[in-house]
Amino acid sequence: MSDHIGDDAALFALGMLDEVSRRRIEAHVATCDACAAELGEAESEVATLAAAEPQYRLPATFAAPAAPQPVRTKPRGRPPWFASAVAVAAVLIFGFAPSLYMWQQNRAMHDSMVAENAAMKQLAAGPFRTASFAAMTDGSDARVMYSPDGSWYVVLVRGATRALQVAWMHDGERTMLGTAQPHGDVAMLYLPRSHRMDQLALVDGPNVVAEAQLAY
Amino acid sequence: MIAYAAASPGFARPVRRTLEPVRSPDTEDDDRLATAFAARERGAFDEAYKRYGALLYSTAYNVLGNADDAQDCVHDALARVWRSPNAYSRARGAVRSFLVVCVRNEAISRLRSQGRRTRLADRLAAEPQEHDELDVVDVVERDRLRAAMSGLPPEQRAPIELAYYGGKTHVEVAAELGEPLGTVKSRIALGLRKLAAALGARR
Repeated sequence: MSDHIGDDAALFALGMLDEVSRRRIEAHVATCDACAAELGEAESEVATLAAAEPQYRLPATFAAPAAPQPVRTKPRGRPPWFASAVAVAAVLIFGFAPSLYMWQQNRAMHDSMVAENAAMKQLAAGPFRTASFAAMTDGSDARVMYSPDGSWYVVLVRGATRALQVAWMHDGERTMLGTAQPHGDVAMLYLPRSHRMDQLALVDGPNVVAEAQLAY
Repeated sequence: MIAYAAASPGFARPVRRTLEPVRSPDTEDDDRLATAFAARERGAFDEAYKRYGALLYSTAYNVLGNADDAQDCVHDALARVWRSPNAYSRARGAVRSFLVVCVRNEAISRLRSQGRRTRLADRLAAEPQEHDELDVVDVVERDRLRAAMSGLPPEQRAPIELAYYGGKTHVEVAAELGEPLGTVKSRIALGLRKLAAALGARR
């Protein structure tokens, strides 16, 4: 509650409010000293009226009961395990997470280097064929170099600005083979295979952006 | 107290003088008890009973009109306050006033839950009810209250009487008087302040 209690102080002190309104005001004055003081003034005024009414001596049976046990509120601070949890979270976030990220990056770079090395070995080892991907609309130049027996394929995209997926188009279906990730302005994907593929496609999301016909 | 001193020829400006309040031993004890009560110190609950028991009991009795109900009402109200750690703080002012209002609100709630309403105005207008332990000295106070109430403007006196003596809610009072709720609220607040000033508010 953000509004101060104003004239409701008098209504509270006079007992004119319902239970819900009283609880709302009690909750507010527990956190607002200005309204607590205002309510205290109104209570003082009502107490003055009450004291001016007929006063009675206490009956002999009137006695203070044993003080009830106050309800202990939970400490407003963090729970005891909170600091430990924060420390563990900090270790995970600031320690482990960067390490994991770096490990993943290194792993990806290593895989890329292994693939590139394998591709270079294949290209250097013997004869290979080349086919271009037609209809690249973003100005990049893509081609595939492949062995005549269909045992390996290297897809190269020069001027690549984004990752492209490579798919084998056959029998009216599309089989996704992998993703050519750009490093610098060249994206490459090395595909060791055991059969000949006649048609490959570069796929960007749901769209085929270029196709290459491979001849053997 | 306001005194007037000439600040320039022909112009008088009010000068507010601050007087040190006279602090009686009772007031200091009240303050100590308020601090102890707010801190839930051991013994503060019993001390509040001892010090204010008669006033609280009378307050409840004047609403409920029954000795047993009045005792139960005081016990329940104080027990609830003591169990609620944030119910009272020193910012609230005097613990005496706080407890009086707690007890009175508890008594009014009991009446409402029972569907009963008392018209204490009628009781005040009449002779004091039968009560073996009536302290006759305080009948003088009752007359002072009656006089102070009569001194209020009718538009302020009417809603306060309906509220204080009739146990009515502000909505009921506004409906009965045919006045807007906001008007009734502000008149009650203003009238209550005047009434307490006339009686000499004690904190």
